[in-house]
Amino acid sequence: MATGQTFDIVVVGAGPAGLAAAIEAAKRGARTLVVDENNKPGGQLFKQIHKFFGSHEHRAGVRGYDIGRQLLDEAAKCGVEVWLDAVVHGLFNQRLAVLREGRQVTVEAGRIILATGASENAVAFPGSTLPGVMGAGAIQTMINVHRVLPGNRFVMLGSGNVGLIVCYQLMQAGAEVLAVVEAMPSIGGYGVHAAKIRRAGVPILVGTTISRVVGQGKVESVVLATLGPDGKIDPQSERTLAADTVGLAVGLTPLTELAWMAGCEFFFSPKLGGHLPLHDDNMLTSLPYLYVAGDITGVEEASTAMEEGRLAGIAAAESLGLLAAAAAAADKAAVRQRIDVLRSGPFGEGRRLAKAEILQQQALRSRQGGQSWKA
Amino acid sequence: MSNKAEVIVIGGGVIGTSVAYYAAKAGKRVVLLDRGDIAAGTSGACDGFIIMQSKNPGPHLDLAMQSAALYRTLAAELDYDIEYMPCGGMIVAESEKQAQLLQGLIAKQKQAGLQVELLPIAQARQSEPLLAADLWGAAYCANDAQVNPIRLAQGFAQAARRLGAQIRPGVEVQALLEENGRVCGVKTGQGELRADYVVNATGVWAPTLLSPFGIELPIKPRRGQILVTEPLPPMLNHVLLCACYLIAKYHPEELDPTDRQHRLGVGLAVEQTAHGSLLIGSTREFAGFDRKTTLAGIEAVAQHARRILPALAKVNIIRTFAGLRPHTPDGLPILGPVEGLPGLIMAAGHEGDGIALAPITGQKVAEYLK
Repeated sequence: MATGQTFDIVVVGAGPAGLAAAIEAAKRGARTLVVDENNKPGGQLFKQIHKFFGSHEHRAGVRGYDIGRQLLDEAAKCGVEVWLDAVVHGLFNQRLAVLREGRQVTVEAGRIILATGASENAVAFPGSTLPGVMGAGAIQTMINVHRVLPGNRFVMLGSGNVGLIVCYQLMQAGAEVLAVVEAMPSIGGYGVHAAKIRRAGVPILVGTTISRVVGQGKVESVVLATLGPDGKIDPQSERTLAADTVGLAVGLTPLTELAWMAGCEFFFSPKLGGHLPLHDDNMLTSLPYLYVAGDITGVEEASTAMEEGRLAGIAAAESLGLLAAAAAAADKAAVRQRIDVLRSGPFGEGRRLAKAEILQQQALRSRQGGQSWKA
Repeated sequence: MSNKAEVIVIGGGVIGTSVAYYAAKAGKRVVLLDRGDIAAGTSGACDGFIIMQSKNPGPHLDLAMQSAALYRTLAAELDYDIEYMPCGGMIVAESEKQAQLLQGLIAKQKQAGLQVELLPIAQARQSEPLLAADLWGAAYCANDAQVNPIRLAQGFAQAARRLGAQIRPGVEVQALLEENGRVCGVKTGQGELRADYVVNATGVWAPTLLSPFGIELPIKPRRGQILVTEPLPPMLNHVLLCACYLIAKYHPEELDPTDRQHRLGVGLAVEQTAHGSLLIGSTREFAGFDRKTTLAGIEAVAQHARRILPALAKVNIIRTFAGLRPHTPDGLPILGPVEGLPGLIMAAGHEGDGIALAPITGQKVAEYLK
């Protein structure tokens, strides 16, 4: 085992949250390392060829991969060290065990920020293990990063933003999308994304699901069915589409293994994707050295992830004594204000309430003398 | 809840659920309480060895052999797939010295009626080809087997429930109730519950309930760290231990404190579960109630596994966990009534033998509940 290096702050995950956290921490003088298991940094940003929304400060109109490039440039300028092809396989208090390019090393950290993101959910139906059934995120990686079209005729299950955006990108890549299938009675994602694929002639079938996928060794057809009021499939309604690939866009789950291993307190939030580390408004968990940011704290979107990263980076630097309390308070207030904007409006409301519930829980457990919350 | 039962069992691990099952089968009105859930403690953080040849001849081996006999029909009796596999077991000897230690134990085991053979490595590799060629050999016993401990506890609990037992997870017992020198029930976070007998099957946590009565149970938590691999095609034919396990267990004075593997009490224990993952253990350390894994512990277990089974070098580890084994000074569990405290029955302190001894423990303890 190689002897450990020491950093003020180690960030796990080089996606939007992790890079933003590292930049803010390094700007304030923290010796900062970002570790990512992939061989390219940027997380999901480099798959995102669409333009972002929101305000100017949230880089509205800029495409995801350009935001990724900007973050990487900025991180390099601030002196952030980035290790790629490096898997953090264990947290042992403030020591991280890392498999870096296949070799075991350890790193000692003053503060650790987990920005590990989320993983795609799967769903089971007859035929769901046939080759040709895959996650929507996997499709997006194949077409936008590797430039490979994994099929020709697609059915997408799930009408959230991921399902809608990936359908549009599939059409841009030259594929045919036969239908978007949505079990709920209404479309899950933004109207602007849904409108784009409707204008291109793709039906979005609400109240409908995939009843089974049929094929010899690969997907050859997809059987759809309408859901009755009891939530069960109406067998009379079955019809078959001649698709060769099925995308699953049925939500994401926070990637929390390292937080479980560290032993911090958790909270269950169905709205935000499941079990997630309880944290306060500085993104601090119940362990005094462990911060979280981005989808690990509840599945939202990249702009919020970056802001949470900034908050965690500033707060972690502050806790190391790298900036005065007044300066930190002003910096954090500005970030929190921008986060509130991102969580406003009809689509942000649910997330805002779910996040508020986490802070309430944290405050409650803190008062009851939970593990080690700072006063 | 009804506040009177005949038997209260505290602890929902393999021991507590077994006691609940056999007591319910004997016609008792049983309530089982656990502050967490079924198999949420030690029984959910261990391997599934039912190994005979690691037991000392005498009461230890006798109980284990009776338990092994119960296991053969247990899945059918419980009507539950406990993933019981009568695969036989091997204890690997790295050196001539270890082989001699095994030889001494085997001679006594044969007298007690357990058939164990010592095989030179060439012969051992005929039935377990992944063993390293430069080992000395292995002791083989056809009576060794494995089971899934979580499914075992679930199987006992569900069968007990069908026999009328109440299984109540999420109820923490705070204290034993005593009246006229007799234990007559428990105080829980949800009120008091009375019974003719209270069974303490709380493993490493068992001493806490007795210390208010001035009784210090000699049970100490001993941590075992285990690695889990990705699911693999069938590659092991037996459950495998190594002689270091027996040395750590029975002859700790033989251990070299300057050697990390010895200091952490690492002895190999490998099994392949029904769905294909290998469970690779284990350390044996006194670390209080800390259930976390350590980097040193994981590395020592992995290195030792590679020494015995070199093919594992390329296998991916997907998870690690640690459990607390209830250690007693003489290596034997504490079973039966407690002197000076009638109404209380002990069923704890099995250390690494809890799985092997679970059925017989339940059956024997149920006999005390007259």
